[in-house]
Amino acid sequence: MRIEISGLTKKYRGGVAALDGLDLTVPTGMFGLLGANGAGKTTLMRILAGIVRPTSGAVAVGGHDIATGAGRTAVQRTLGYLPQDLGVYPDLTARQFLDYVALLKGMDDRTTRRRRVGELLEVVALTEHADRRLRGFSGGMRQRVGIAQALLADPQLLIVDEPTAGLDPEERIRFRTLLSQFAGRRTVLLSTHIVDDIGQTCREVAVLAKGRLIFRGTVEELTRHAQGRVWSVVTDGPAPTEGTVVSALPQDDGMRYRIVSPAAPSPEARPVEPGLEDGYLAVMAR
Amino acid sequence: MTVFGASLRYEFHMQVRKRSVWIVPALILVLFVLIGGSLLRDLFDPRERAADPRTAVVALAVQIFGLLAIGFGGLLADRFVRDDRLRVAPILDATPASPGARLLGKYLGTGAATAIPIAVAYFGFATAYAVDAGAPAALGWALAAFAAVFVPGLLFVAAFALAVPMVMPAPLFRVLFVGYWLWGNVVSPDIMPTLARTLIHPLGGYPLAALFDFHGIDGQDTWAGPIPGATLNFLRPDPTPALAWLSIALLLILAAAALAGGQALRARRLR
Repeated sequence: MRIEISGLTKKYRGGVAALDGLDLTVPTGMFGLLGANGAGKTTLMRILAGIVRPTSGAVAVGGHDIATGAGRTAVQRTLGYLPQDLGVYPDLTARQFLDYVALLKGMDDRTTRRRRVGELLEVVALTEHADRRLRGFSGGMRQRVGIAQALLADPQLLIVDEPTAGLDPEERIRFRTLLSQFAGRRTVLLSTHIVDDIGQTCREVAVLAKGRLIFRGTVEELTRHAQGRVWSVVTDGPAPTEGTVVSALPQDDGMRYRIVSPAAPSPEARPVEPGLEDGYLAVMAR
Repeated sequence: MTVFGASLRYEFHMQVRKRSVWIVPALILVLFVLIGGSLLRDLFDPRERAADPRTAVVALAVQIFGLLAIGFGGLLADRFVRDDRLRVAPILDATPASPGARLLGKYLGTGAATAIPIAVAYFGFATAYAVDAGAPAALGWALAAFAAVFVPGLLFVAAFALAVPMVMPAPLFRVLFVGYWLWGNVVSPDIMPTLARTLIHPLGGYPLAALFDFHGIDGQDTWAGPIPGATLNFLRPDPTPALAWLSIALLLILAAAALAGGQALRARRLR
């Protein structure tokens, strides 16, 4: 399911532009969305999910114009959405919550619905907690319920906003793998602050800043943006002030800094191979 | 199952399991009996109770509804806004389910669940009275009073309890609602303007007067119609059965308008 966005602008009250003339095409498969807080990622996802209306511009999802009610409903029939700030009804059990969302998604057949809910509880490893009220669930368990509800109606478009927040490392890896396996001929739009999650799952990625698209390409192209701009500096003095410090690792002879900078941040700096995180920082620093 | 059915079922399920839905009406009733609810006690005193079962159970309806509607409105005040407060709303809004059908299901589901303790109290007292007085006809009148007085009034209260907290915090709505209820039902309209005895009185003055010929236990009270010197008398024509049905219809229309307003406000905020 292809997403075509042109000139998309969203202004909230007070004139704040969360999206400012965004043009973007998202193909079938896993697609990553990166950007700092306030870059407009969540607004874009809420527009694609039909929750928020754009101020101007055009968005077509699988050929459906989401500016129209019929278009939005058509998209929502094939949509799985995991919002960033997920909430659940504390007074329902995990099974009841999923059953309710399944009914709202139009899964009318009771047998099919129950089977699907059971399968997804298994997938997110919540079968033994399925009949416990969500009130007692930890943040990670609630997140897994959120993941399950997003997958309920076998969506052709899956929009996941910070899906691995609150998951432990093992759960995170399991969910990443699940997303990749799920993608296949579907479209999965993954927004995250964890650049590594994008690197492990997506072939293509877009970077937003201040509501605008500042990069779109493959993960390798994003990484190449930092080619010749990543430096390693070991010093027992103060941190270099030139460029962006990516990491600081204590060593026997001082601190090893990894720095993204157009020029060597100090005479003793030596160039190193860039990673995806370096590429992201290089694009953001442009 | 339709979206409406799903919403009705789960909203009912969530609300009916709330302890406060049972505790609040129970406390109100206990307090009422303790501090002077003589009419409830009189119901079981052959010397004090109304001579005919219709008057007895309609008077009971007025008391139970007048009292428990306060808790009913308060208990529903967070239901519409809580989807946003709990942050469940984005998941629900991203489904193809019609927001209108969802709201209708929520309205009727939470309303029905919150009305159950009221119905239990009313029919419990009515049944006890019917047995004590040896008047089985009282149960028929109780059913009729529930349908014509409780149901429209509760639907009216529920709609405003769901919608008004869209524009003010739910606790403030609860305080204002108690004030309104006492103002509208206790203060006489010739002292200050109230909706009492008007066509849009949620306590159901017109059905009480015109459908049940109810004029209080002693037959001296009036529940609908003009009051010399009162404002809003244009809303107080002399009661007739047709006006009683019109009063019920007006309550339901106003309830629908309140719900539609709440829904429109939420949709506007999302944009």
